Amino acid sequence: MDKTASPEQPALGPRLAGIVGPENVATDRQVTKTYEVDGLVPAAVVFAANTEQVSQIVKAGNESGASIIPWGSGSKQAVGPCLSSADIVLCLKPMNRIIELNTGNFSVEIGAGLSNAALQKQMGEHRLLFPLDPLYLETSTIGGELATNASGPRRAAYGTARDIVLGITAVTPTGDIIHTGGRTMKNVAGIDLCKLYIGSWGTLGIITEAVLRLFPLPEVSRSLCLTFAGIEDAFRLVARLLISPLTPGSVELIDGVAGRNSAPIGDSPLAEDEVRLLIDISGNREEVERHLKEISAMAGANQVRHIATLEGEAATRAWNAYRGAHQAVLSAAPSAFQGKASVPLSRQADMFKAIKEIGQKYRVPTGIRGHCYNGILYPYVVAGDDHAVSIIGDLKKAAADLGGFFIVESAPLPVRKSAGALPRRSDRALMKRLKTEFDPNNILNPGKLGEGAD
Amino acid sequence: MVKESFIKELAKILGRENVLSARKDLLAYSYDSTPERGMPEVIVFPRSTAQVSAVMKAVHREKIPVVPRGAGTNLSGGTIPTSGGVVLELSRMNRILEIDSANRRATVEPGVVNLDLQNALAPLGFVFPPDPASQKSSTLGGNVGENAGGPHCLKYGVTSKYVCGMEIVLADGEIVELGGSAEDTPGYDLRALLIGAEGILGIVTRLVLNIVPLPETSWILLAVFETLEDASQAVSDIISAGIIPGALELMDKTSCWVIEQSISAGYPTDAEGVLLIELEGLGDSLDRQAKDISEICRKNKMRELRLAKTTDEKAVLWQGRRGFFGAVARICPQYVVMDGTVPRNMIVPALRKVGEVAEKYKVTIANVAHAGDGNLHPLILFDVNSEKEKKAAKEAGKVILKVCLDMGGTLTGEHGIGLEKLPTMKAMFRPADLAAMHRVKSVFDPDSILNPGKLLPPEEDGPHHEEKEAPA
Ligand SMILES: Cc1cc2nc3c(=O)[nH]c(=O)nc-3n(C[C@H](O)[C@H](O)[C@H](O)COP(=O)(O)OP(=O)(O)OC[C@H]3O[C@@H](n4cnc5c(N)ncnc54)[C@H](O)[C@@H]3O)c2cc1C
Repeated sequence: MDKTASPEQPALGPRLAGIVGPENVATDRQVTKTYEVDGLVPAAVVFAANTEQVSQIVKAGNESGASIIPWGSGSKQAVGPCLSSADIVLCLKPMNRIIELNTGNFSVEIGAGLSNAALQKQMGEHRLLFPLDPLYLETSTIGGELATNASGPRRAAYGTARDIVLGITAVTPTGDIIHTGGRTMKNVAGIDLCKLYIGSWGTLGIITEAVLRLFPLPEVSRSLCLTFAGIEDAFRLVARLLISPLTPGSVELIDGVAGRNSAPIGDSPLAEDEVRLLIDISGNREEVERHLKEISAMAGANQVRHIATLEGEAATRAWNAYRGAHQAVLSAAPSAFQGKASVPLSRQADMFKAIKEIGQKYRVPTGIRGHCYNGILYPYVVAGDDHAVSIIGDLKKAAADLGGFFIVESAPLPVRKSAGALPRRSDRALMKRLKTEFDPNNILNPGKLGEGAD
Repeated sequence: MVKESFIKELAKILGRENVLSARKDLLAYSYDSTPERGMPEVIVFPRSTAQVSAVMKAVHREKIPVVPRGAGTNLSGGTIPTSGGVVLELSRMNRILEIDSANRRATVEPGVVNLDLQNALAPLGFVFPPDPASQKSSTLGGNVGENAGGPHCLKYGVTSKYVCGMEIVLADGEIVELGGSAEDTPGYDLRALLIGAEGILGIVTRLVLNIVPLPETSWILLAVFETLEDASQAVSDIISAGIIPGALELMDKTSCWVIEQSISAGYPTDAEGVLLIELEGLGDSLDRQAKDISEICRKNKMRELRLAKTTDEKAVLWQGRRGFFGAVARICPQYVVMDGTVPRNMIVPALRKVGEVAEKYKVTIANVAHAGDGNLHPLILFDVNSEKEKKAAKEAGKVILKVCLDMGGTLTGEHGIGLEKLPTMKAMFRPADLAAMHRVKSVFDPDSILNPGKLLPPEEDGPHHEEKEAPA
């Protein structure tokens, strides 16, 4: 737990200062308090400027038995299983350089502390696109996004981090610096540790640098905003699309409850019982025209209530509002929680209905957002803490019955503590062994691997 | 040493017809396309996960090495039983268990041949994008074992992108599920470790694959150039213009000539560089793509352009490229296939260097390349009966790999390390990198009985614990 009083601590502060310089270590509670995570206030916050410093800090942590919490922008710290200890917050924000841009290879090497938005902006100037677009991309750092395997609407067309990352430099929990992957599009030399680091939530090492794939900016982009009275119609359209040769860039869904606190998503208001599909179509002119024509026709055949084609500013506004919906719902109701249900593509409508029924059973409003090309729905449950655990139990069961799973993401701390466990799986023991082998002293993000892992 | 009683135990688990131990059978499993050799002691053909698990429990008890094997088409010596023991061949676990197009998933046993799956998918309008040139014989388990690529991986990505879930049997016989049909399984992405692990971490016994709808239309452009440099520059220019065709294959004059000796694909045999470019997507968009690409080729002094639109025409053009390794073997049974891969914009200098190496070492090199991805396949031909040629070929190979690494590339883009490239691993990875890989290996297979001696250079070869860092 909070080890502030443990005997190693006095020596650790100066040691950290020796590595990064005193100006890059904060032990003042006023500062450390702002890095409180899962109810734990770290004894020190350290800012690292390069991979070598990270390595030395991790070695120091091992020697003194202090737990280390790698930190990007902090946007996902309160997501998922809770930490069991947090002595040192190791912030990678200063490592925010573009190390090498190789436009001919469509790759860029970056420091893990670079924010997604800063990267997008600079790549845009070269007419290049970095396709990872998670919710908090304005602030979230690339390192944090890779560590949490964050993704966004564009995953429909470009895949997730594992399809976009070419190489990773990481510091292992014992302080070794390792280089995995490389800068080529194809690479099968050795065991693929690069992908192991993606989604490992900082429990197997600290990602300090990465080589990322880039793509040409599409010639034309349009967005279709389709409003439906019922979920069946919307998902019938999605099912048609999924077996067609059409290749939309993203196919996102939001219902009136999830959208009720945000700016208008599209050109018209969304009633509480309506659902909306927001579809990005990007490519060359001919392709985009074909998509617009065919998808509109499919929508017409599926009782669409309202169709709008958006471009330029209007499209950007709609997408920003869509992204903003998440925070807007959670801010409006502090007791609300958000989870993630992943089911086979053809069971999305069933999962949607199950979420609504569970909401009705407990008499709480439920909003839903989702990546329709990936079978992922994000329920927002506006419940008081007392029902939350039962609701989560029901959601887990519903998702499992449909061949998928449900996990809690953003939730008040007590809810995460009592219901944050990850689904039990047969590969759990292997994960635990891997964690122990890499991190024998259990100092990197202890607890974050979830139930029984540490 | 495998004892007679152990072979009996295996026969009891699998049935006698699924166990081979006669010398002629052992011989057949002692080699592959590389010059390496190694005799197994027994070969087994399990038909179910339960049988694989039972076999693994038995070998684990006795600490006998096991080489998992699909079709044995890997080009890196990965299935040669260099430590004797058991060859566990999965070719009889070859059922397609389910094709679920509404969910874009196919569930298969590992011994299903890549093309058999494609043939089952095509009538439903679907495709499994990884399409190694060996797809007529290579198995999906083997494709996963090597993280296979193929011509269409330029646009679609390699095998790792299309494996959603798998069932594996660990070295001690435990059966474990990784990933699943639904996306984003929480926890470590252990699938990623198994993909491309060349059988050293576990035996894949079932796969849930991601399948996608077939493109509406595809055309092939065959672009002919007077020099290899012009052809490779055209590749570079197409890529930097932001055009991502379905496939972008390069062949040099020697390759075209070799292919035409046994397959009449209609390739020119007097041009130094030929590009096979597949365009695919919505019918409406292909005219534009074709125009843009031919313009780039013309700027690079293209001599001739052919366009194939019919299924038959396209099939003939692909047959040539896909049949290349076989065609070479008919003319020169011994060759070294390189698989070095460079950043995409290095394809011109890399091929230029390969040409210089051929000249310097006086060896014949035939070049094909998945050029759009920077994946080179220089084939160094030599006469088995000439020690001098054999040596020169080996030396030239080493230099070419070094060239690729120096350009920021990798030892292997899709064929794997296996036995063949093991000595080069240390040129690419530092001790700490290799130590981390050994950690993973020790978690999955602490006794090192799964495909020992492949992929990872032995630990005792060098110190692997923390490099001492200079104090700050
Ligand atoms: C003519 C020709 C063309 C080729 N073209 C290409 C190409 O375009 N792209 C490409 O990537 N490769 C290519 N290859 C290489 C080879 O075909 C591929 O690597 C293929 O994926 C190997 O499949 P296989 O079934 O033959 O596997 P094998 O050679 O039998 O095995 C490959 C590796 O995987 C392991 N393995 C096999 N099955 C399993 C299992 N079920 N569980 C765990 N481990 C397993 C083995 O131990 C071995 O290390 C080509 C080869 C030839 C001969």
